[in-house]
Amino acid sequence: MGHSHSEPHVTPLSIYYGVFGTLIVLTFITVGVSYLGLPSTLSVIVAMAVASVKAFFVANWFMHLNHDSKFNVYLFLASLWFIGIFFIFTTFDLASRDSIMKHSGTFEARKANVEKIIAPKDQWPVASETASH
Amino acid sequence: MSSEHAHHHPHYQAHHFHTMEQQNSSNKLGMWAFLVQELLFFSGLFMAYIATRYFYGETFTEVQERNLLSIPMGFTNTIVLLTSSLTMALAVREAQLIPTLENDESKKHRKNMMVLLVVTAVLACVFLVIKYFEYSHKLHVGTLPGHFYNFAEWPVYKDESTGRILGAIREGGIIDVESAPHIFFSLYFVMTGTHGLHVVIGVGVILWLALRAKRGEFNQENYSAVENVGLYWHLVDLIWIFLFPLMYLVQ
Repeated sequence: MGHSHSEPHVTPLSIYYGVFGTLIVLTFITVGVSYLGLPSTLSVIVAMAVASVKAFFVANWFMHLNHDSKFNVYLFLASLWFIGIFFIFTTFDLASRDSIMKHSGTFEARKANVEKIIAPKDQWPVASETASH
Repeated sequence: MSSEHAHHHPHYQAHHFHTMEQQNSSNKLGMWAFLVQELLFFSGLFMAYIATRYFYGETFTEVQERNLLSIPMGFTNTIVLLTSSLTMALAVREAQLIPTLENDESKKHRKNMMVLLVVTAVLACVFLVIKYFEYSHKLHVGTLPGHFYNFAEWPVYKDESTGRILGAIREGGIIDVESAPHIFFSLYFVMTGTHGLHVVIGVGVILWLALRAKRGEFNQENYSAVENVGLYWHLVDLIWIFLFPLMYLVQ
């Protein structure tokens, strides 16, 4: 960005250490939250929110996007945009299958297939080695 | 390289570039194009995760309840990888401080950079060793991908005539078609394996940089290779930042 001379922009050490410290703290937070036993959807949302903040710190300071050419920044953001389209549209497709294809899109057909099957006894689950009973 | 250019261009400047700045920004643009491709490539794997989770959400919860992945090992690996990202960033910073004129200061910063690169590569190897222990444990208990899956505590039923796995076997021999641990571990091994392959390649290119630094290469106007490998390494870290909670933590 606008350097007429070829000397690079050098980020102060304190910023690198600060970013690193933040990443470590956020890692402790995300692991700590996982022991709270949050409901499934909420645990995904919290984990992805923390991961996104961590990703921002890495991309902005470690990857120098804060001092990079705007073109590279847009390239990066464009990839995120297209990943967003990919995820959202594909998820719409997954979520609408049940209503469109009553039998092939769900587990119903497979459930009917296995209704009469009983697995041989030697294949039944063995008790957990770590279980306390 | 023609000789009439050589006298006013440094030897590391390719003849088709006007300035080092132009050469460096071209290098970096190329690297970003590659990294963007990497993100799109990994997004396919993450979409596979979303789709599998959409159909087999309870399997993911059961994997966590049964503690089939070691959170302490995943956590340690996250710290190791974050630390290696820091040492890589500091190595790039040292490269930025090497004066173009060779003197004691250039030697000092180049040596610092080499040390930081070697530390980064060592940390990457620590990551791989921990991953090896995780993989070998899974090999031992049988929590393996697809048809290799043979975990006795959470068995799956294979239809003899078609060879397809129909679902998990519950108490009393009942088949549960909505439980698919073999698919979870397919995802686990493909995603962490692809990421691990990137780590292995990372060790290679980081050591290649250390060797070039040992030969006296790189200074503050010629460090694109260091910076680009740094970008690659941070991307590997970035992917792990999402992979770790999705695999090890979320319910």
